[in-house]
Amino acid sequence: MAVKAIPHAKIKKPRTMWGDVVLRFSQNLPAMMGLIVVIGLYAVALLAPILVTTNYTAIDLDNVRSAPSLVHYLGTDELGRDVYSRVVWAARSAAFVSIFVPALSLSLGLFFGIIAGYVGGWVDTIVMRLGDILFAFPGLLFVFFIAATIKPAILLWVKGIGLTEFAKQGFVDYIVVFTALSLVGWPGLARLVRGQFLTLRNREFVLAAEAIGVSQWRIALKHILPNAMTPVIVVVSGGIGGTIAAETSLSFLGIGLQPPNPSWGQMISDYYIYWRNTELWPLLFIPSIILVVIILAFTFVGDGLHEALNPYLD
Amino acid sequence: MSEQKDVLLRVDGLKMYFPITQGIVVQRHVGDVKAVDGLTFDIHQGETLGLVGESGCGKSTTGRAILQLYKPTAGQVIFEGEDITAMRGESLRKMRRRMQMIFQDPYASLNPRMTVGNIVSEPLEVHSLFNGKERREKVKELLDVVGLNPYFVNRYPHEFSGGQRQRIGVARALALNPDFIVCDEPISALDVSIQAQVINLLEDLQQEFGLTYLFIAHDLSVVRHISDRIAVMYLGKLVELTTRDELYANPMHPYSQALLSAVPIPDPVVEEKRQRVILEGDVPSPANPPKGCNFCTRCPKAFEPCYETEPEFKEIESGHWVACHLY
Amino acid sequence: MARLLEVNNLRTQFFTQDGVVNAVNGISYTLDEGETLGIVGESGCGKSVGVMSLIKLIPTPPGKIVEGSVIFNGENLIDMSDGEIRSVRGNKIGMIFQDPMTSLNPVLTIGRQIQEALELHMGMDKAQSKARAIELLELVGIPSAADRINDYPHQFSGGMRQRVMIAIGLSCNPQLLIADEPTTALDVTIQAQIVDLVKKLRDDLGMAIIWITHDLGVVAGLADRMLVMYAGMIVEEAPVKELYANPSHPYTVGLLGSLPRLDQVSGEKLDSIEGLPPDLIDLPKGCPFHARCKYRIEKCFTENPPLKTIGVGHKAACWIDVTKDPITTERPYQEV
Repeated sequence: MAVKAIPHAKIKKPRTMWGDVVLRFSQNLPAMMGLIVVIGLYAVALLAPILVTTNYTAIDLDNVRSAPSLVHYLGTDELGRDVYSRVVWAARSAAFVSIFVPALSLSLGLFFGIIAGYVGGWVDTIVMRLGDILFAFPGLLFVFFIAATIKPAILLWVKGIGLTEFAKQGFVDYIVVFTALSLVGWPGLARLVRGQFLTLRNREFVLAAEAIGVSQWRIALKHILPNAMTPVIVVVSGGIGGTIAAETSLSFLGIGLQPPNPSWGQMISDYYIYWRNTELWPLLFIPSIILVVIILAFTFVGDGLHEALNPYLD
Repeated sequence: MSEQKDVLLRVDGLKMYFPITQGIVVQRHVGDVKAVDGLTFDIHQGETLGLVGESGCGKSTTGRAILQLYKPTAGQVIFEGEDITAMRGESLRKMRRRMQMIFQDPYASLNPRMTVGNIVSEPLEVHSLFNGKERREKVKELLDVVGLNPYFVNRYPHEFSGGQRQRIGVARALALNPDFIVCDEPISALDVSIQAQVINLLEDLQQEFGLTYLFIAHDLSVVRHISDRIAVMYLGKLVELTTRDELYANPMHPYSQALLSAVPIPDPVVEEKRQRVILEGDVPSPANPPKGCNFCTRCPKAFEPCYETEPEFKEIESGHWVACHLY
Repeated sequence: MARLLEVNNLRTQFFTQDGVVNAVNGISYTLDEGETLGIVGESGCGKSVGVMSLIKLIPTPPGKIVEGSVIFNGENLIDMSDGEIRSVRGNKIGMIFQDPMTSLNPVLTIGRQIQEALELHMGMDKAQSKARAIELLELVGIPSAADRINDYPHQFSGGMRQRVMIAIGLSCNPQLLIADEPTTALDVTIQAQIVDLVKKLRDDLGMAIIWITHDLGVVAGLADRMLVMYAGMIVEEAPVKELYANPSHPYTVGLLGSLPRLDQVSGEKLDSIEGLPPDLIDLPKGCPFHARCKYRIEKCFTENPPLKTIGVGHKAACWIDVTKDPITTERPYQEV
């Protein structure tokens, strides 16, 4: 059958949801600037061994508390450590935190949220009350508590299974910080996921799937989860800046990443005595500025995603 | 014997209560929303039974409880002699192949994250019908049957208009080749000209595939057009059930009479002459229905027994069932 | 009767990311004092935007009235400043909307919401406005009005809320009441109550009404004159009985054919209109209805017919005469 073309009767060229989101995001100037900074952070983190030739732990006793020079671009601290290489390597810590903590919180949040929202009943009660308890603690205090209690246990266990070298290199610090921050992070996400599940499971398309005879788990994973993800993405991306700030606070207080692992929080803690020193003030100033810029960048990206996804949040 | 064979689905004493609870830690059961409160009726093979009533009367809940999307509080749903309320798990899932549903809201009833092809092929997939290539062919065939261009398989629901989305929903319901379809207000969200398209489509499909419909709607004009028999529901109960022409010619329950007289007719000459029965007040809450007849608070003909005892739903004339103390 | 309202070539557009939406495309009509005008059409046909443009009640941006004039009592509403138009809205022109749930403020009592307009437009003091509010609630049939005046919207049912909306719409004795699908969200028995009430109030108070609806049934017993809109244009205008008896635009014919009627024996298939309305961003050349029209001829593809008089008070925008000319195509619509 010959189809006679009627120009206006055609459906317009389809625009996918993600195509729309990318378009809206790219029109948001702060978000795009934030994205560039974030990409820069990961590039520096990835390329740290190339960008820095001096070992960040190396102590140059000939140059203690030196001003910026061609050898030490940002000078050295009171132990003769090269501040530039510390700053660059600390980017790696920040990058790790910005990936692993949200990933771990998200996994925990999704797991418990789906269980609570889909199984319901007493499982729901137990999971949500557990979340409430974690929620009730002031976040930072809870992180102190975990860092102080589980770290020795993990250290013992790691050494026990013969990973002494691993323990020495300070990986345990990372694990503790990631775990602590994730444990504080997941209840909020679990609550969100659960709420989404409760709302979505009464939507007609879920009933329709049930009427077809789709199994419960397939409904949860294929029908509900993809529709629940949009607000979750917004919350997770919006929280990354805060997570980096939290790691910095921990390290500043000396219970986060320990030397030799570099961290901007640690550096601010180490160098804050120089805040009125006419020569050495960059030691404090540089990591602080970088930290502020990075946190702002993540926040802008999060806001940008929120706005870009907003028409789809119902 | 032949009459027995005619009945495809029998609903017997169907009740669907939603509990009202209070308390945070220990939830106390303080009452029930009696959304559906004891329905008994048959649906004959190949017919369209219209179920009408106003919002909140429990008509949609009835449809969902019949399909076991809600677990009924009491009563039986007997499909070809088998009680499906007793079925669980795999046997119920198998049963679902024979009875399907078309939903009211074409925007809410399609998963926005799935393509049209995936939506229509999902029933085939979960019941392991056909394999890859055959399944894709079947999907295209289904889209063609409901009047959609099969070329659209890879598009998402939001790219379609309301009427087209409703066609996608119809294709999904047809995929399993069911005998019985609950049409839950399938056209009330659509524009007038599109409504007629969907009604015509449903009628064509019924003829082609020998389908039996339970057609739930609030629009009596549409129900009159499409149904063979009509059941009128008020506050969780059936008040009248009879053939289409009998209901319009001789409505017996005062609620049916008021409902019929309230429907506007698109003809100013007819409208000028019509006498309306205007009901006073609103429908009572199904959590706290009145004593006696559910309709007694608004009924223009209510007399003493109506406030005391609940009228029995009985056959007044052959095939004409009414629940009213007047008869 | 005296002319109350004269709309000339009104054109409203919305400037969106996807392009310019031609919501209302040059509509002209008049309304006499005390007359009831029904405007029918399907969603997106511009019936609501067209009427809301009269009182400049469209979101700006993205919306903009780009052309036309609205002469109400000899004054052009389109030229009025925001302050001036506000003194007309809710005063000389009352409004009722579709959704009584969202058009009432949930944190203010019913009484306050009625008194607001009275104090603003009529310069009443608290006591006067309260007395008048009670009077209005009694007028729209709310029992024990004096007590209920202190209730909040959630304490009223949907039908009762719509009565409150009508009371607000009528509070300043308007000359014109605009009703935008006021019964669409209501059940049929409640709809009958509201239509009955509006008729009674119209007969008592004598205001003119513009009743916007998609339901050809509701307006049949209510309107004096009808406008049928399609793609932001008026395609037919006629006295109510004439429109239903002799529909003269193929779209009107199709709409009436699409409606199952309660008083008619069915059995035949509905005579539906195929296809979808056009995209308002990318309006077709020629008549906006030609892609769905069974009567179309060559000319319909290239030239948009003007609204021309075909009988007493009866106008239609169509090149052919549906009573005489033959159907040219049974299946006009093809999806591409």
